[in-house]
Amino acid sequence: MGKIIAVHSYKGGTGKTSLSVNLAATYARNGKKVCLMDLDFRAPSLHALFKDYKTDYWLNDYLNGVCEIDKILVDATKDHGNGGKLMVALANPSTEAIRDMTAKDRKWEMKALGRLLSLRSSVLNDSGFDYIVFDTSPGLQYSSINAIVTADVVLVVTSLDASDINGSQRMTTELYDLFEKKTGILVNKVIADYLSSPEEEKKFNKYIKSIHSLPILAIIPCFCEVLRAAGDFIFSEEKPEHPFTETLKQLAQKVEKF
Amino acid sequence: MTYRKLEGKSTQILEKIRENLEKLNEKIDVMIEIQKHGHREIPDNLPEALDVMTLLSLPDHLRKTAVSLCKLEKATADEVAKQTKRARAVESGYLNQLVTMGYMKKEREGRKAYFCVNKED
Repeated sequence: MGKIIAVHSYKGGTGKTSLSVNLAATYARNGKKVCLMDLDFRAPSLHALFKDYKTDYWLNDYLNGVCEIDKILVDATKDHGNGGKLMVALANPSTEAIRDMTAKDRKWEMKALGRLLSLRSSVLNDSGFDYIVFDTSPGLQYSSINAIVTADVVLVVTSLDASDINGSQRMTTELYDLFEKKTGILVNKVIADYLSSPEEEKKFNKYIKSIHSLPILAIIPCFCEVLRAAGDFIFSEEKPEHPFTETLKQLAQKVEKF
Repeated sequence: MTYRKLEGKSTQILEKIRENLEKLNEKIDVMIEIQKHGHREIPDNLPEALDVMTLLSLPDHLRKTAVSLCKLEKATADEVAKQTKRARAVESGYLNQLVTMGYMKKEREGRKAYFCVNKED
């Protein structure tokens, strides 16, 4: 049976989109059928990466009940399949759409939750996808909490910023625990000095474990090359031998067994 | 033959007693809610949205039931109990509480009672 993975964080700029995209690409490379969805309706991002793909309908339309999910999914397998299958659902980046999505009422959000929940039967069960990866909005807001409730596994991306650590701790204990979600932590953009030797790495691991009570699924160093890619291409795809790609491979395996 | 007939009859009677007990349980739940919240009428004319923020505000035991019903969309207490791994009678009580609170609707189809989330505007 397929799995829904939500990638979330307390603060913005932690690397959710980069990790969602690369995780989805890693699964595709492993021969899996993957569906990547942009659930950040306030600041859509995936359309910029998949700019060559045109779509008549957006994920917004699916949640609005305008059409079904098959109309939304864009097939990126030709360029990004790498032996598997990669479909993408994009969020509408127009200002009007963003404004529309921020002005929804509770009743709409409830229906949107129902629409997200039914992706399990339409995408995973009927279309036989192995994974759905949700790239969510940061912080506590409707679209992200809907995604969290729908997901089987939640990956919280956190940096080493004090406010991020503090917020992530609070969010996981006060929100995720209430929904009894399987949650793992991804520490991203870790400064190379902290991982410069096996001893330093051990010390750092110990420190991270002491601040988060949840399983640490990956510690991802800050690579200038990844930043230089500037979200213009899928890094792990272009650089299959890079340590970042290797970290993503290990993460994919861990999430698979989680 | 006679023995089988008798056995069939007693199963029917037991089933009937179970149904009646269930109905009684539901009525008691409604009475408890009315006492707790001072409602004279069941607010079924005021559907409440069961969105995630509302789910968060529910007590733990009700949230589990409500999330499970959101996933199932429409289900009997038995089906919810299978998901939550709690006793059917317990779920029946919680579902009826959620109905009383206006978050869910209850419909009878034949002998079965189905619960579903209030979706109409």
